[in-house]
Amino acid sequence: MIKINNVSKIYEMKEGNNPFKRKKIEKLAVSQLNMQIEKGKIVGLLGVNGAGKTTTIKMISTLLEPTSGNITIDGEDVVKNRMEIKKRVNMITGGERMIYWRLTGRENLMYFGKLYGIEKSVLESRINKLVSLVGLEKSIDIPVERYSKGMKQRLQIARGMINDPDYLMLDEPTLGLDAPIAKEIRTYIRSLAEKEGKGVLLTSHYIPEVEELCDYIYVVHEGQLLFEGTSKTLSSQVFDTKKYVFETSALKDEKLKAFYDFAQSLQANIQIDEEDGLQRIVLESRLDCHEALMNYIHKNRFLIHNFRVDEADLESSIIELSRRLA
Amino acid sequence: MKVFLGIVGAEMRKQYKNYFHSKFVYFSLFLWPMITFVNGYYQFKPFDFSAVSKTIPYLNEKSLLSFVLIGYMAMIFFRTLVQSAWRFSMERTAGTLELVYLSPASRLAIVLGNCLSALVNSVWLFLVFMVGIQLTYSEVLIQSPFWFTMAFIMMIVMSVLWGMLLNGLFIFTRDSSFLFTILEEPMEIFAGVKVPVSIMPLWAQFIAGFFPLTYAIKTLRMFMFEQVNVSEIFRIFGIMTLVCITMFILTLLILHYGEKYNRKTGHLALF
Repeated sequence: MIKINNVSKIYEMKEGNNPFKRKKIEKLAVSQLNMQIEKGKIVGLLGVNGAGKTTTIKMISTLLEPTSGNITIDGEDVVKNRMEIKKRVNMITGGERMIYWRLTGRENLMYFGKLYGIEKSVLESRINKLVSLVGLEKSIDIPVERYSKGMKQRLQIARGMINDPDYLMLDEPTLGLDAPIAKEIRTYIRSLAEKEGKGVLLTSHYIPEVEELCDYIYVVHEGQLLFEGTSKTLSSQVFDTKKYVFETSALKDEKLKAFYDFAQSLQANIQIDEEDGLQRIVLESRLDCHEALMNYIHKNRFLIHNFRVDEADLESSIIELSRRLA
Repeated sequence: MKVFLGIVGAEMRKQYKNYFHSKFVYFSLFLWPMITFVNGYYQFKPFDFSAVSKTIPYLNEKSLLSFVLIGYMAMIFFRTLVQSAWRFSMERTAGTLELVYLSPASRLAIVLGNCLSALVNSVWLFLVFMVGIQLTYSEVLIQSPFWFTMAFIMMIVMSVLWGMLLNGLFIFTRDSSFLFTILEEPMEIFAGVKVPVSIMPLWAQFIAGFFPLTYAIKTLRMFMFEQVNVSEIFRIFGIMTLVCITMFILTLLILHYGEKYNRKTGHLALF
């Protein structure tokens, strides 16, 4: 398990237009962060640009050193046992950089595999397995410069798996990809956790992707942890009301008045629109009104045309969170 | 050791595939040093060497071709490595440098592989040309063939260590073009490629002392043109060994502290 304990990262920078007179400033990128990533689980790390997501990923991957706090992977400190930790983690980023375009896909994988000191025979069979996993069998021996964006991204995933890491950091892995390819990659990421037992940390700006894949989510803002939990708990924490929306044959006088009284007893607001002899009723309340509302509808013989409960999705929760912080 | 050599080999193959992908690359690798050499040689050809011969007895019209040839040959070795180090710093822009540092690979093996690749791929064609010219046109025979060979091997070792040192510097310096400017032309001027260091003013000789190429050229010319006694051989090889050890230690320190600095600042990802 990866444990991040009270980790902070401060960058020292120089600011100013005059190269001979630049002021030293400090920028807090991550502040007192606590996180956990288990093997076989996909954990999402969300936040707007500059929230500290990439810094966190790089600290776990040993490319950056925390200013304070500590990170352990399966009990080993990432700073003290840096070289050992490097064998157990890998990082995959979105985009078309971080790969040698003039080399073929296979040559790229051979090179990166050799950097991990993997025996040639083991490496060859692993490359063949990875190539078929990411579906690059037909193009693995042509130069990467002839690959499409999606093929490059699939090669990146194979490259990230070359050392058979226990933990994978995925930084925007579907960035700029077409929907069908992004879906393929999501399926593969899911199988990495479920079938291969890898611990995955995923950052993405595409919120439905996080909602679909992640077992647990951390939301960071300006380096600080704002929220942790499942996407459902995030929605319920951000939006503390639920909306019950249904259409019924128009309610008249007493029946309508009685319904207003009922709504009041549930501390709910109601909004009624009428069109073509049907009333569209939206009942919004902090309480869980589901059972009471169903009983009321049944008892009073409302003629219901359709009924749904609007619960906030992850995307609207994140947007709402960002709006509140702005 | 097996893993270390595996990484050296992988880095060499990668650099070869990445940069030597077309026959035109070899053509330019040959053409450019050849033009530089011909230019250097014909700049000196019209001059009278009698005044210089008083200070440097072996330098005359007959030996001029071999004199310039040795200077340029050694310079091509060293200059190739300055360029390979500069090229390696481009990996920062490509983002691949971060991936190299993400791996547990020996950093020393990486820079060694990069240097050897540059040397093997860039220099051989020019070397063949040099040997051809020497055998065909030169009127001078090598005075101490054994020690000349030893000096040649020592020059290769020195140039590789020079390349490793520069690789370290270029990896961890974002503004590497500044280093390139400092090292390219001044190395040619002060290391005695064309003009012998011994006839330079004292301040220029002082600067020359900072370039390992100076010692390599001096030693090669010494064994080419003169009979050298044993104590002088020990002295010159001792100096060269000391220069090599200093470069190696500096490389280790730069690689260690450079990576540490980058882990602190995150500059490895900036370009």
